[in-house]
Amino acid sequence: MNEGPLVRWDWVWSHLDDIWELTVQHVVLTVIAVSLGLVIAGPLAYYGYRHYAARGPITWVAGVLYTIPSLALFAFLVPFTGLSILTAEIGLVGYTLLILFRNIVAGLDAVPDGVIEAATGMGYTDRRRFWEVELPLAMPVIIAGIRIATVTTVGLVTVTSLISYGGYGKFILQGLNRFFNTQIIIGAVLSVLLATVADVLLIRLERRVTPWAQRRSE
Amino acid sequence: MIELEHVSKTFPGSPSPAVEDLSLSIAEGEITVLVGPSGCGKTTTMKMINRLVEPTSGRITIAGDDVTKLQAFELRRRIGYVIQQIGLFPHKTVGENIATVPKLLGWDQTKIQTRVDELMDVVEIDVSMRDRYPSELSGGQRQRVGVARALAADPPVMLMDEPFGAVDPIVRNNLQDQFLALQQTLRKTIVFVTHDIDEAVRIGDRIAILNVGGVLEQLATPNELLRNPANPFVSDFLGTDRGIKRLSLIPISTVALDPGPIVAGTASASDIAAMMSRYGTDWVGVRTGTRVDGWVGLGDLDAGAVPPDFAARPFATRLRPNSSLKEALDAVVSSHTSVAAVFDEHENYLGMLSADTISSEIVQ
Repeated sequence: MNEGPLVRWDWVWSHLDDIWELTVQHVVLTVIAVSLGLVIAGPLAYYGYRHYAARGPITWVAGVLYTIPSLALFAFLVPFTGLSILTAEIGLVGYTLLILFRNIVAGLDAVPDGVIEAATGMGYTDRRRFWEVELPLAMPVIIAGIRIATVTTVGLVTVTSLISYGGYGKFILQGLNRFFNTQIIIGAVLSVLLATVADVLLIRLERRVTPWAQRRSE
Repeated sequence: MIELEHVSKTFPGSPSPAVEDLSLSIAEGEITVLVGPSGCGKTTTMKMINRLVEPTSGRITIAGDDVTKLQAFELRRRIGYVIQQIGLFPHKTVGENIATVPKLLGWDQTKIQTRVDELMDVVEIDVSMRDRYPSELSGGQRQRVGVARALAADPPVMLMDEPFGAVDPIVRNNLQDQFLALQQTLRKTIVFVTHDIDEAVRIGDRIAILNVGGVLEQLATPNELLRNPANPFVSDFLGTDRGIKRLSLIPISTVALDPGPIVAGTASASDIAAMMSRYGTDWVGVRTGTRVDGWVGLGDLDAGAVPPDFAARPFATRLRPNSSLKEALDAVVSSHTSVAAVFDEHENYLGMLSADTISSEIVQ
């Protein structure tokens, strides 16, 4: 590694444009990954919630995806999908599925039987009961899952720098190649910061959508 | 009002039926209690009425209409439903919970709001609680919100599955009283499931005693049931204190009161002695005008209390005409005088009851 201060602030000030650009890229990659993860894991979780037997196979597949080393996965995908955002997102989405699937199922499972029975007994149709009773009550656990998936994805996005994406990962990779500490540290610190900010925003969202879970009898 | 005709239910994978060939008539405007040991199919029976459980065979009609005529969800919106753990929606406020069925029925917002306010008043929940969540309420308040929610669309029929099961005995008593007072004005047709025979006797206009496998052992008024159990199962289930339970159903006002050994406050010692020997007691009640504030015993007089200056001892329990004979019996066994003194609401003395009078009411 080269000599000099740990962080060269003059580099930071002269690269604010790059920082902004990679921030946007990092956020976009994360938001797409978690959103697509929800779009895929949601229906799967609903199916698993209704059909107990389906949970094992779905968990198994999602679990296998989860355990593939990210480097290996991207290396494997490149011959098929190239250095594209598709390659990046296939990997990122794949890693969210297990967490999201498990949490959505767990959240729905935790809805008290008495509440479901009361809802049915009062004349809710199955569909309306799901959207108005079961899903809202599962939200705290589901959002907990989204938080874990988001924080994990923010970290994982940096790895996609290997296939020419990567958000802040790009700084880290360049820094490593050029033995330039400032880039490595800025990339890592910003990534952690972004994960923290995302988590805080999601906690706020949770408070917003589950006001009933915040209040308890004094 | 509700007719079950040869209804059976065998759950898939179960070797024996939960309910077998049950026929039962539930009278309009009455509370019919289904009671029995666990496994007697009382909850299953109730759930077949709103089709939470579909019968394997048989027919159920409400006001002559087969329950399978409507879509299950439409049928259920016409039947009030209260369950044991109340099943309030934790994510909805008190107001939103009560508004559930009107909202499902598509009432307009102003009508729903008016109805919610009205019901909160009926079940005595302060309107300030309207925007609270169920987790912020006490157990008793939750139960009352549960009842209000079931009443929201003014259904003629209500199904209640151990609605007061989850609260402590004092609160339960209050809820039962309040519920009975409410029913006096509402006159709903209510099917009420409980495993507690005391609750059944207290709440029910009619009690259906079910045996394991949904066999109807007896359907009768509480009084008839206690007086005349159909078979050993029923009498076992009613317990060894059937007589006491019956006493709890009979108000004092239906019984002729004895004037008792009462003397005027100005009575002489010989008057008092004569009264004691006439009634065979060692005490007399002391009257001032229409009031009897207490009694004096032989011991007090022997100790030198001189008429008319004796200090009367108060009766331990002062009963009202609407108290039950069970309460009267309690007063008898826990007082020195071995009688229950009865007074009207202005504290005027009406008479007294002895253990003999009370027992003759249920022995006759």
